[in-house]
Amino acid sequence: PAGPGGVTVPRAGLKRLVIPPDYSDVTFPERTKLKFMEKVPAVPKVKREPRQLRDIRGPSQEATDFTQGQYGILALGGGYLHWGHFEMIRLTIGRNMNPKTMFAIWRVPAPYKPVTRKSLGHRMGGGKGPIDHYVTAVKTWRLVVEIGGRCEFEEVKPFLTQVARKLPFPAIPISRDGLEQLRREEEEKKLNNQNPWTFERIITANMLGMRRYLSPYDVKFQGRYWGKFFLKHRV
Amino acid sequence: APAAGMAALSGVAPWRRGWLPALQLVRRGSKAVTRHWKAMHFQRQKLMAVTEYLAPRPAVPPGCLGPRREAPQEDDGYVRLLRRQVEEVFRDNRMIAICQYNSMPDEDVVLMRHYLRKHNIHVKFVLNEIVRPMLSQSKYKNLLPLFVTRNILLVSPDAKVKEMLRVLKGVPQVNLLGACIDDTILSRQGVENFAKLPPLEAAQGQTVGALALLPSQTSSLLQRGCAHLTALLDQHIRQLQTGETGSMAEPPPAQSSGVH
Repeated sequence: PAGPGGVTVPRAGLKRLVIPPDYSDVTFPERTKLKFMEKVPAVPKVKREPRQLRDIRGPSQEATDFTQGQYGILALGGGYLHWGHFEMIRLTIGRNMNPKTMFAIWRVPAPYKPVTRKSLGHRMGGGKGPIDHYVTAVKTWRLVVEIGGRCEFEEVKPFLTQVARKLPFPAIPISRDGLEQLRREEEEKKLNNQNPWTFERIITANMLGMRRYLSPYDVKFQGRYWGKFFLKHRV
Repeated sequence: APAAGMAALSGVAPWRRGWLPALQLVRRGSKAVTRHWKAMHFQRQKLMAVTEYLAPRPAVPPGCLGPRREAPQEDDGYVRLLRRQVEEVFRDNRMIAICQYNSMPDEDVVLMRHYLRKHNIHVKFVLNEIVRPMLSQSKYKNLLPLFVTRNILLVSPDAKVKEMLRVLKGVPQVNLLGACIDDTILSRQGVENFAKLPPLEAAQGQTVGALALLPSQTSSLLQRGCAHLTALLDQHIRQLQTGETGSMAEPPPAQSSGVH
């Protein structure tokens, strides 16, 4: 860039040194790597359970906040995790993290819900099939794993995105600040929405008889959840 | 349910707003939670379309606001330290020469510093972004145009300009831009002229001699009339002596010595 007198002014100035982060308040658990999750619970269930898909539907009430770690994988949809998913998560994270400086903990329980399957090629009827495998239900906004320790988000993000892509529901790697920012943005969106017609307003007043085409769950979910899906673009 | 309906009808509790339909469409289609994206009823689709999020439009379009200026960064301790060092340099040294520095091999830099150090001249590398705001607020405002490219300061408490110029002549990559000697800003030409000046004692002696020239002539000026008269009389006596020989020679010299 030309300076006074047509002389080129060099751009490089004083180096601003960044203070490295302070990890003094980080407590490590006993085992830093992810625990092995069993395929089948210790006491396998004898009685077959009804399907109860409502454990996928809607926002999660548990494991929505960080406990020990700083970064994690946030589920943005509902789904079932089976043993294959658990192994994939455990091995990928175990391969990519340094057990001396980082730790990882599960935020979902081992598979507990039995899923039945009928044998292939048979007609309908003949009762409920036998238990095939076990799964864990995950709702939207639940944390799947948490990573912590003496590490930055940029170090952890690559393999967390790799894991998040392979999960059966949409998921993103996230840090504590990221989660706060997401929540803040949602609140702001709700406040500065220019549309005077909101889903909540129409459904609570039953305008145009809309309740005929909506379910009682839509009153709770405010049009943001449809089945197991979470609609991010809606306010 | 009918009992509750009867109670409601009797007016004990007023009608609930937002009633549920009596016949729900339960048998039709798949369950509520499906793996695929379940098709919504058209009325519901219309509702979703109507109740979409509308982002607020700012009063001034962001394109009209102009380029975003970075917030002025707060002072580091490092910046403060460097500024203090530059202030010390400007305060403590009599001679400050600023030179343009082009990249040199490291050993040449070391050699140049060694030669300059022998004459008690220190070489300081300064950063423009620290020096410029400092100079603009101090009395050295006119040095500002010199601090543009990569530069070094040659500072020394005593002004040995001749030796400095000799060393810099041997180093082609460092060019003298200007100097501030004894709070006097000199250009490159001025520095060369300053170097050609005689040393201080000789200059002082010259000044004293020039000043003392006139008083030294005062006594000779005052005595000029008498000296002139004496010379004329001597001349006259010699003429008389050469003209008259014999006894008249002695009394006139006695008279002339009496006159003295």
